[in-house]
Parts: sequence; C-alpha cells; structure tokens
Amino acid sequence: MAVDQLLYVYVLNEEDYPANSVIVKEGSKGDWMYVILEGKVKVKKNTPKGMVTIGTLNEGDIIGEMALFDPVVADRTRTASAIADGGPVKMGVLDTNRLLKDFESISPQLKGLTRTLVKRLSDTTQRAVNLAMK
Amino acid sequence: MMNDKAKIPPIARLKYKKGDLIIKQGDYGISIYKIISGKVRIFSESGDREVPLATLGRGEIFGEMTFLNRGAEARAASVKAAQDSELEIWHPGRLSSEYAQMPHAIQYIVTQVLERLVRMNKLVAQITAKKQEDSKMPAKLEESGASQRRYYRKKVNLECVYRPVGSSPKLALHGKVKDLSMGGLALEVRPKNALNFSHDKGDKFHLNMILPNGKKFTATTEVLSAKNDPTLGTLFMGMEFSDVSEGDGRTLGFFMRT
Repeated sequence: MAVDQLLYVYVLNEEDYPANSVIVKEGSKGDWMYVILEGKVKVKKNTPKGMVTIGTLNEGDIIGEMALFDPVVADRTRTASAIADGGPVKMGVLDTNRLLKDFESISPQLKGLTRTLVKRLSDTTQRAVNLAMK
Repeated sequence: MMNDKAKIPPIARLKYKKGDLIIKQGDYGISIYKIISGKVRIFSESGDREVPLATLGRGEIFGEMTFLNRGAEARAASVKAAQDSELEIWHPGRLSSEYAQMPHAIQYIVTQVLERLVRMNKLVAQITAKKQEDSKMPAKLEESGASQRRYYRKKVNLECVYRPVGSSPKLALHGKVKDLSMGGLALEVRPKNALNFSHDKGDKFHLNMILPNGKKFTATTEVLSAKNDPTLGTLFMGMEFSDVSEGDGRTLGFFMRT
C-alpha cells in the first residue's frame, strides 16, 4: 500500500474503476475528494480543440483538492476530468467533512496561504491549457 | 491555544508603487506577503524575457513557496506591483510551529498542491518559451545545426561583470571575455577576486557586458571547462550560453556578423 497510513484513516469507502473509465467528469457537480489507492489516473481538461491531458497522477495522489480549500462555492463543479489510465484503478473516497474540520482548525494565515496556493494551481493549470491551445 | 494562533501580529506593512519589484527570482528571501490592497504580477524570468505566471489581488498571499519548501530554495519567480499596493509582510518563523502542528492530512495535501504548482509553472514557462521560438527568430543559437551557416569566433577583450546564478543581484564579480561566439565565450578571471565562489564545470553564471559596438549583452552561461594558470594567476573558463533572451541573441548575432 503506497498510501500514507495517516491519510488512509480518512478513507470512507473504496471504489474500483475499470481501465479507461471516467472517475470524475469535468463540469459535473461534486465536492468529494479522492485519493488514488492503486493504479494511475490521467487528468484531462476540455478545450475548444478537444480534450487535453494536463497530468498523470499516481498512488497516493489526491483528486478534488479545490473542494476543500474553496468551501464557499456551493454546488461546486469539477474543473477537470479524471480517467483511469491503462489499467483498473482503486480510489479511496476521503472523509471530506473531517478534512474540512481539520482545515478550519488551522490559523487564518495558514488557511489563506493554502487557499492562495490552491487557487494558483487552478489558475496556472488553466493558463497552461490556454497557452497550449493558442 | 486557538486564540494564540489567531493573534499572530503582522510584522510590517509596506507600500509599493506600481512597477516596483517586490521579489526577485533567484534571491534568498524568506518573507511571506499578503496583499492588503492593490495587485501584483508573478512572472518567471529567463534572460530578459518575462513569462507571466499569475496576477494576485486583495487577500491573496505570495512568497509562500519558499516557506513550504523549508527555505531550501531560492525564489522561484519574481513579483512586481501591478498597481500601487499595500502589503503585509510576515516572518515565516511565526508560521513554522503552526505548520508543524497542522493536521497531517492537510499537510499532505498542501505538499501535493505545491508540487503540482511548481510543475505547472515550469510547464507554462516551457510552453511560452517554445511559442516565442516558433513564432520569431530563435532565441537559442544556431551553432549546433551543422547545415546552418557557421558564425565565426571573435577574439575580444571585454570587461564583464558576472555573478553565480542564485546569488544576490548586488554581487558583481569582474572578468575579461577573451573570445566570443554565438554559442559561448571564454572568460578570464583573477580567482583572488572570486575566491568565495565555485568556478567549476557545470556552474552557472549571469553575465553582463558592453559589446564593442556599444550594445549591452546579458546572458546566463554554464562553465564547460575551467583551467588555472598559476604563472599568470588567472583562471580561464570556457562557457556555453545556457540562456540568452531573444533580444540579446539578436544583438550578439548582429555583432558577430559585422
């Protein structure tokens, strides 16, 4: 098990996805966070010229971190798709409420810092996609 | 305990005018900045090319990457005020203990987000550089292409100022450029002037000089070979340009052909 034990205690449920199936679809509603327990996941974004792969994630990597750090947005929609890459994937559904509580316990400074970081990741990813499409 | 955490006093507030440089890429600053008012622009620098990475506004924080990397690395990007701005400046020492106490799962996620952001920033810089090369005159030089017309090497004797990549921009070491080509140069230095800094194969330096035609030329170079001459007390380095901006590449090309 490549996943950190201290994170594994947040896993509520395990879900299996066959090769090439969609785990999370861009534009769909949802604010669950996942951790990859087994397998590889491709992250893709829609562009006017079709789907672009923006990265590959491995065991231990998190999906859906935007939900945690931007909790103001109700009815949040997914900003990218996650697709099982090449083989079956086992995902751990994380206890998002507990993570949110943990997050609320940290100082306002660290909260701000983390939120900025998450937003910048999202902005920079979008910028990379836009640039690649130009 | 929660109350203590919430009461970390801000260290200072500073005002910046539009255009002011707040963080210089390559410096070893440790402060963290929060924007009280105004806007800042984050960009990565290569040569005199600026690759925009992000624009941040009120309430947002920057300079945090060095803190999260445990201060082990130089500033990864530069930041300028995009408007007149007021910033709150935090000393990272205040945050370190809080960071250590942060729930493990949150730390885990923050570390991942940081790694992805670093990767994305690099990607943006790469794509931008590639686009610029594709669309205009290549910034990198053509010496390696065998079919290209070869540029000559020129014997010169030019004063130059240089400093190791990652050092303070205030640092100025002096040397003499002995010959120059489109791909690199030979630099002679008196090591006693530069004893505190490594001058070995693989070391990188920022370098500035005025070409004989009066044009300024700036480049980042990498040492390919370094030879001591004990009789003359000099160190002679063969260097390759690892980063030359498009404008500087043109300036050099123009000089080499005339």
